Amino acid sequence: MKRLSRTVRAAVLLALAGVCLGTTATRFDQKLSADKQAVHALNRLTFGPRPGEVEQVRRLGVEKWINQQLHPEQIAENPALETKLQPLGTLQLPTWQIVESYPQNPMAAMIRPPAFAALPPQQMRQLMNGTAEERRNTIASLDPDTRRAVLGSAPPPALEGLPNEIREEAEKARKTEQEERQKEMRRLMPPLNELLTPDQMRTARMGTPEEKLALINSFDSEKRRQIIRALGPQAFSDSPSLRREAMAATQPQLLVNNELIENKLYRAIYSNRQLEEVLVDFWMNHFNVFNGKGPDRLFLTSYERDAIRPYIFGHFKDMLLATARHPAMLFYLDNWQSQSPPDNMVTSGPRRPGINENYARELMELHTLGVDGGYTQQDVVAVARAFTGWTIFDQPKYAEFQFNSPFHDRKEKLILGHTLPAGRGEQDGLDVIDILAHHPSTAKFISKKLAQRFVADDPPPSLIDRMVATFTKTDGDLRAVLQTMFASPEFLSEGAWRSKVKSPLEMIVSAMRALNTDVTDAFVLAQRIGDLGQPLYGKLEPTGYPNTGETWTNTSGLLGRINFATALSAGQVSGLKFDISRFNFKDGATVAGLLLGTSASPSTLAAIEKGIQEKGASPSLLISLVLSSPEFQRR
Amino acid sequence: MFTRRYFLRSSALAVAGFGVAPSWLLRAAAQGDMKRKTLVAIFQRGAADGLNIVVPHFEKRYYDLRPSIAVAAPGKPNGAIDLDGRFALHPSLQQLKPLWDSGQLAIIHAAGSPDPTRSHFDAQDYMESGTPGRSSSDGWLNRALPPAGTGVSPVRAIAVSADLPRTLRGEQPAVALNNLEQFQVRDKDTAGILETMYARTSDASLMAAGKDAFDAVKMIQSLNRTPYTPDKGVQYAGEFGRGLQQIAKLIKADAGVEAAFAEIGGWDHHTNEMPQLTPLLQQFGNSLAAFARDMGDRMADIVLVTMSEFGRTAREDGNGGTDHGHGNVMMVLGGPVRGGKVYGRWPGLEPEQLYEQRDLAVTTDFRDVLGELVRLHLGRKMDQVFPGYAPAEPLGLLQG
Repeated sequence: MKRLSRTVRAAVLLALAGVCLGTTATRFDQKLSADKQAVHALNRLTFGPRPGEVEQVRRLGVEKWINQQLHPEQIAENPALETKLQPLGTLQLPTWQIVESYPQNPMAAMIRPPAFAALPPQQMRQLMNGTAEERRNTIASLDPDTRRAVLGSAPPPALEGLPNEIREEAEKARKTEQEERQKEMRRLMPPLNELLTPDQMRTARMGTPEEKLALINSFDSEKRRQIIRALGPQAFSDSPSLRREAMAATQPQLLVNNELIENKLYRAIYSNRQLEEVLVDFWMNHFNVFNGKGPDRLFLTSYERDAIRPYIFGHFKDMLLATARHPAMLFYLDNWQSQSPPDNMVTSGPRRPGINENYARELMELHTLGVDGGYTQQDVVAVARAFTGWTIFDQPKYAEFQFNSPFHDRKEKLILGHTLPAGRGEQDGLDVIDILAHHPSTAKFISKKLAQRFVADDPPPSLIDRMVATFTKTDGDLRAVLQTMFASPEFLSEGAWRSKVKSPLEMIVSAMRALNTDVTDAFVLAQRIGDLGQPLYGKLEPTGYPNTGETWTNTSGLLGRINFATALSAGQVSGLKFDISRFNFKDGATVAGLLLGTSASPSTLAAIEKGIQEKGASPSLLISLVLSSPEFQRR
Repeated sequence: MFTRRYFLRSSALAVAGFGVAPSWLLRAAAQGDMKRKTLVAIFQRGAADGLNIVVPHFEKRYYDLRPSIAVAAPGKPNGAIDLDGRFALHPSLQQLKPLWDSGQLAIIHAAGSPDPTRSHFDAQDYMESGTPGRSSSDGWLNRALPPAGTGVSPVRAIAVSADLPRTLRGEQPAVALNNLEQFQVRDKDTAGILETMYARTSDASLMAAGKDAFDAVKMIQSLNRTPYTPDKGVQYAGEFGRGLQQIAKLIKADAGVEAAFAEIGGWDHHTNEMPQLTPLLQQFGNSLAAFARDMGDRMADIVLVTMSEFGRTAREDGNGGTDHGHGNVMMVLGGPVRGGKVYGRWPGLEPEQLYEQRDLAVTTDFRDVLGELVRLHLGRKMDQVFPGYAPAEPLGLLQG
């Protein structure tokens, strides 16, 4: 390598010095200009500015606007949102009703149960648990029809050790049973070619949404139902209402989940109470529950509505308690089956119930203290013991909280230096919530997470300290902590400006808002967001999705965003439309300004200029290049 | 024949269209032919039924426990394919038999995780993290990659899946690509413009991400430009086969793949197991065999290992299926493998020999299997991949 000349070396040193001086600590002291403040506030408190909003916030004043967002009840809601949410019928239902109306396997529910299960209890007991002699006698005592039906549906243990002729008879009976059940299935759920003529099938599979709807509606309600069920949701990917019906018939639990996802997206895109939606997203992520774990799919609707949303501007300890008691969390982290083993428990043999530490660990590691918050393995065990008995009433049917006293460990517990006396019940768990909510590590952990979401991936300690002071002084008043954060010099600073990478949800929703899109089928967007790596409600691990940017800046994620931007601007993403004529400009700078709310960097503008030279200035090219740009990936 | 030099030449040409050739490519060309070893991890999601996949036909108890879903003994109609007089392959895996005979296929039975969980997602999480009983933020295969300097291939670690699986998450960059043909910038015309935009931005981390993305795209694009035919009329089966084919393509192109991951789901057979297991095993076995055949001589540098989060109950349930269990089968396939043998201590199927009186017990920790492969094939220390785990006696799965 050539030796650097003196001037070049000096220039390099100066540049390095500039970099060093421009450390984040200093830049967090530099206040944003008035122009930038409005953009920044919108980028942080909302899912992205809509056209004209930067100007509105400037006129109102950033401080006033932030204060409004902190009191959403004072903000009139967007009527467009009401319209979008109206068809989503499950959103207001209590869990018990969801469980009842949206069963796991609707088709199985239609077919009669196996005859075996319909035997009187005493005979069934003998057939399952009796000796070979007893079982043979029970079978002999049945009338011929019942005998055939029972033999045809009996599980192998019931037939073990019985003479060969009975086993052969059972084999024959099993075949007959199977044939009968198949016949019944065909009667209740005829195959498509028995319901539709070939021409009709063609329309159903490949017609336009209007043609499909006309065809479906031409039948009486019973046949209509059978046709929709036979076609399944995939046949109606472009007709949201028919797809909803098909899902209700074939995969009702997926429908419940989809309505929750659509609710989230419509609110993120259209609600005027943006900070509320951003906070619900934050707290649902903090108290993550996975929609793929058993009945949690059905519990999530209530979880978000009843255990998270009402508490976002209240006291942290109240949200903490609400999540601890909610069946969604009790099931997700297994506490519902955590029980103190009885003292006379036999240690060998089939799996005995025992204490489950999963919730106790995550409660401290992820929900309150943080992994370095100062708890030990002994604390984990003690907390787990405290929560034994916190379970779900008649899960999954009623799905309410229940304290089950026999499950509870009544012995004394030592937790983080506090002694919980022996002989108590539900109070043990309540005390743990109290201890954790007031632990100094919790104030730090929660403040840091909020600062990461709203200010910067690595928030300055001065900011966190100030938030911790408010948290401690106000007993965890979350609105107060947010006020402290938004009023801090670090928030409206150069250090925070454009420092956060958008998550896939934020990228796609901000594009929707910037383009003033009319979304008619949020399901499509949900799939795109999942493709980019953030399936909504689909985070398996209790850590939730990260609040920092590294995960999202991976190869396929970036590629995915660029391809989404291209498809969107070319009109190739279904279920939505926007007015592209608003972007009929000949220069990149104007379009970039419209979509970013602020100006793009010289390098981005130069690249766009090159694009215009090569391909001519079309709105779709300009939109695609701006939405693909590094600037648009940040907020 | 798709030789290394051909690829370098053609990709250099392809790359010239975008701009400067990626540094790793130039460096690799300068270093000449560099043998690269590859470890391929296959995850069977849903708890595959190991007892019906590698059948312990010498055990009478097997047939007692599964009166309606046991695989018929070797010699009977639809009988299992005998391996060593004790164990036999499910008949759908017949294409794996030649690999067993030639010593490229080894089986470890009664393998698995010591953690008792029977939750699919917890158990998958623990196995992919390589830390039973708790979840790590990174995966064992990512930790198995030694830290790379500059000039490393953008597709050094790849997963054929929509999302990067836990197994490959971690400090070393890894790419999830579902489909080589689709791993591209849709609008070719703007690809160059965007690459410049990202190369010149002052946003350091997005510039780096952009560089990785466009490098990988360009490399894969030049691969796609040359029509790829699998060797000797090899036929991959199903979605799983298609996934293995993507990996095969990249390995054959000397793209620098060191760690690869693919998955196959649909194993959770609580009811009606046999009619579902047969076609699934066909897809599984045929694709693995196709991969081995396609790689040909390159198998000398490749080791492939299969795993599932846990096995299934020894006894069938009342619906012609099985419930979640414990011990399971792992397979290891490759040139360096000491195949033709069933490894591990067989615990037996008597009631007192079963785990919690219901499942095949675990006598070989999965970390012993993976650790040995990582140590001998990738040259990485075990405690760097499975920290805090004290390995048992080596199994002797690989030569050398």
